[in-house]
Amino acid sequence: MDYTISAPPHIKSKFSFRSINRAKILALIPVSLASVYFFGIPALEIILVAVLAAVATEYGIQRIFKKKVTIMDGHAALIGLMFALLTPPEAPIWIPIFGAFFAITIGKHAFGGIGSYVFNPVLVSWVFVRSAWGGFMTPMSIPNLGQLSDLVLENGAGLLVDVSPILLLGGVYLIYKKYIEWRVPLVFALTVFFFNQTVAFFSAVMSLIQEGVLNPLMYLATMFIFLEVTDELSYVMVGIVFFGILFLATDTPTSPVTKNGRLIYGFACGLLVSIYGYFGNYVDGTLYGIFLANAIAAYIETKTLPAMFGHESLLESSYRRIMKRIPSSLKFEVISDE
Amino acid sequence: MESKRLKTIPEKVVIPLKQHNGVACKPLVKKGDQVLIGQKIGESVSYYSSDVHSSVCGEVTGIEEAPNPNGNKVLSVVIKTTESEETVAFVPKKHPSQKELITIMQDAGIVEHYGAPTHTVLKPEGKKIDLVLINATASEWIGGKYATPKEYASQMMDALKLLMKASGAVKGAIIVRKDDEDSIEAFEGVKVDGKALRVAPLLGTRRLGHYFKDQGSNVVVASQERVLGRNILNFFTYNVTGRKVALGCNPTDVGVAVCGVKSAKALYDAVHEGKPYYETVISMEGAVNCPELMLVRIGTPFKDIVRECTFNGEIGKIIANGVITGIAQYTDEVPVTKGTTRITLLTKEQVLRDESLDCTHCARCVDACPVSLLPTRLHVLAEQGRFDECRKMHIQFCIECGRCSFACPSKIHILQLIRYAKNAIEQAYEDDTPKESPNLKLGCCGGE
Repeated sequence: MDYTISAPPHIKSKFSFRSINRAKILALIPVSLASVYFFGIPALEIILVAVLAAVATEYGIQRIFKKKVTIMDGHAALIGLMFALLTPPEAPIWIPIFGAFFAITIGKHAFGGIGSYVFNPVLVSWVFVRSAWGGFMTPMSIPNLGQLSDLVLENGAGLLVDVSPILLLGGVYLIYKKYIEWRVPLVFALTVFFFNQTVAFFSAVMSLIQEGVLNPLMYLATMFIFLEVTDELSYVMVGIVFFGILFLATDTPTSPVTKNGRLIYGFACGLLVSIYGYFGNYVDGTLYGIFLANAIAAYIETKTLPAMFGHESLLESSYRRIMKRIPSSLKFEVISDE
Repeated sequence: MESKRLKTIPEKVVIPLKQHNGVACKPLVKKGDQVLIGQKIGESVSYYSSDVHSSVCGEVTGIEEAPNPNGNKVLSVVIKTTESEETVAFVPKKHPSQKELITIMQDAGIVEHYGAPTHTVLKPEGKKIDLVLINATASEWIGGKYATPKEYASQMMDALKLLMKASGAVKGAIIVRKDDEDSIEAFEGVKVDGKALRVAPLLGTRRLGHYFKDQGSNVVVASQERVLGRNILNFFTYNVTGRKVALGCNPTDVGVAVCGVKSAKALYDAVHEGKPYYETVISMEGAVNCPELMLVRIGTPFKDIVRECTFNGEIGKIIANGVITGIAQYTDEVPVTKGTTRITLLTKEQVLRDESLDCTHCARCVDACPVSLLPTRLHVLAEQGRFDECRKMHIQFCIECGRCSFACPSKIHILQLIRYAKNAIEQAYEDDTPKESPNLKLGCCGGE
């Protein structure tokens, strides 16, 4: 009887590149349907056209350069869908076609394909189209969380993705199912949230100082600002920011691989997005912010390479140094009997 | 849960003369000789060697190169069995001295499942052992030979004492797995020197040293998470004791002897019953309907064991040991050796036929790595032959546990590539000495 021989391991996890892409596409389908419901046929056209264009471009490129055709792994379709969601519904039909084409050719394949690109292809294409045809790409309105129903269906939606923040939470399920890693989105979300609250807190404290208030309780009371939904925060609770946190920033080739690096990257994303968003608007802010964070991802990675296994961390070595200085008479320590 | 024996004695057994790392044994029998169960058929020729015994009665039909589960061919004694259970006279030894224990171990052919003969682990030349560990994390509690968990626990304690005596160490510990509740329950309350023991979890910086002090005992039982892999000993030692083992050294260099449950049990049997190590317990895994644990004679070909099982479908792969690091066999003629702990069978459908894609830097391998390496970079560097850079990224610390390859969604053969690079580095830097660093002292003396 013949037996197969191969190197270990003989079983592998069920996750594959294909299943991850499929899961992401599935997680984006609810928001796509909501946008079709909200904007009507133009939205459907944009989504279909962008996905088709992306897949056709990938097929064409791989045939021309005589490479293995990989349209079945779903990555091209995902890029097309993500670009379509970043398009306003009023845009002419050639915008999503060109955007998807640009994302695949320049964003993905010019840099070397899967895993090699430096910038998220969707963002590359979006930044290009936005700068080239700003008029078509400017959304009609900037969403703002007025009442809670806006979380379900946003009336001020400007881009397709803005229609429903709550439907994007499929991404959270993907994190739970380990299709997406948790570090980047968690730190990103916390940073964006606390940036606005901190700014609001400091401005409240500053205004108290200017009024010349001396009562410390008044200052303490400003801490409650952290619990309120401030004006700025209501601009954050929109679809595009959720989309950025859950789908754009978690694009694996453009984020660092080291554990600490991912935390720092998440923070960098959050900070850049907040600065852009706070002084401008969160629609452009999210996309430009993540685009800039992509640029420093490789730097973060090389600076956070893990030390040799068992090596003392900075915290441990400084603790040891301090403990050395303390005279032994002050230490409570069981002296070893060996 | 007692282990099952095979229903029939295999027609023919193949007993390799080298079932350990070190020097192969010299055969004591020749073609045509009659042998009995427990008869010595291979004698060790140096200290780094361990005797081999016949596990059946029968006639030697040849001494030839035969397939071995490690993938090579090894000089083996082939015995045609006869239906008989006649054994040589076993002479138990009461109250052996330290020297006698070492000789018993070598005579009884007791070998660790990772390859080293047990007596060389306990009494390495030129090194002093002060701590003996029994690693019970990877084997199931009963090891197949016990009727009740309590019996297992008390025998293990006795075995640990024997091991400590043989090595001259004052301290000893049994490490069980955290999620293995049966074992923990079994060891909970075992009396040592009149004191009841409690199973201590190894958490954070609380390693064995803490519990030796805390429990005021020289023998403790601790629990930790399961560690799988081929080169786990150094990692295991560090996890349990906090002693760092330098590259190219083994735990004995820092005074730690790591033994398995099987060798501990074998020593117990050798001392109390005088039985040499000719039977071992293996488990079956995969799409088979089998008794979970089986007591088989060393040298039984895999096909005789597989025949006892009902298998659904066609066998695609036979793997000696587990699915993550085991070695796939090209033939089912290979015998069970002292290093075999498990046989895994996969059906034709379960055999993987994935194609490697490009790395997507998803960092799953980084999260999976227990020794905090960056497999994402290492596999690329290894593939391009940039071994020096691999070395700078501490590739030698890899314990070859295979978790990175398991986790990879692009199905890249990371483990294989890393092994390739490690091999190349070892060949290139044969006489290289490791550099001294704040936590690595030269001369393999280790340190904390």
